Amino acid sequence: MSGLGYTLPAVISVVVVSVLELAVLRTGLFRKPAYWISMGIVLFFQVLTDGWLTKLSAPIVIYNEDHTSGIRFPWDIPVEDFLFGWALVTGVLLLWERQRVKR
Amino acid sequence: MDNWQYLLLLGGCLLVTLPLEFMGEGVYRQPRRLLRALAPVVGVFLVWDAVAIAADVWHYNPRYISGINVPFMPLEEFLFFVVIPICGLLTYNAVTAGLAGLARRRQRNAERSRR
Repeated sequence: MSGLGYTLPAVISVVVVSVLELAVLRTGLFRKPAYWISMGIVLFFQVLTDGWLTKLSAPIVIYNEDHTSGIRFPWDIPVEDFLFGWALVTGVLLLWERQRVKR
Repeated sequence: MDNWQYLLLLGGCLLVTLPLEFMGEGVYRQPRRLLRALAPVVGVFLVWDAVAIAADVWHYNPRYISGINVPFMPLEEFLFFVVIPICGLLTYNAVTAGLAGLARRRQRNAERSRR
């Protein structure tokens, strides 16, 4: 339940990606409706796929509960997964957008 | 069959998002841009993942993975970091193209009603 192994790095990843955009890259991605609509769609499909990966009845990924908050929603998805997924996808989208700015 | 669950899930993600490539400027059609967007982020997440596995923060059920390993992690986990961002990029590509199409149609209709 310490949360140090997963909860903390997951929160840090969101902060790092946000700071990367707001202070360094400034691509304007967060102001684009297309970004937020896309993240809504990604979130929907994450619940389906991540729900399958983490279901406690037959888990593909098994988490050490010592390192998570223990909060699982919806179904058995550790809430940290949503921070992790947001940082991963948004990070790549930022670098994709940056190359548009450059051209 | 159970051993292929994780790989099949990733394959399904690629299959479902593939048609989105045909909208707008595409993602696979810009391989250099794709590689430059993926590599740094995937690199960081692979290190995170390798550390988390080594520290037993999470592990994988041997029943549902192929047993093929790349350094530090199962093949499936490596592919996850490539497949999921590509799905995100394809979604963003499609939504961007869709919104642009809507805006063009709205403009055409406005011009038509002015005449």
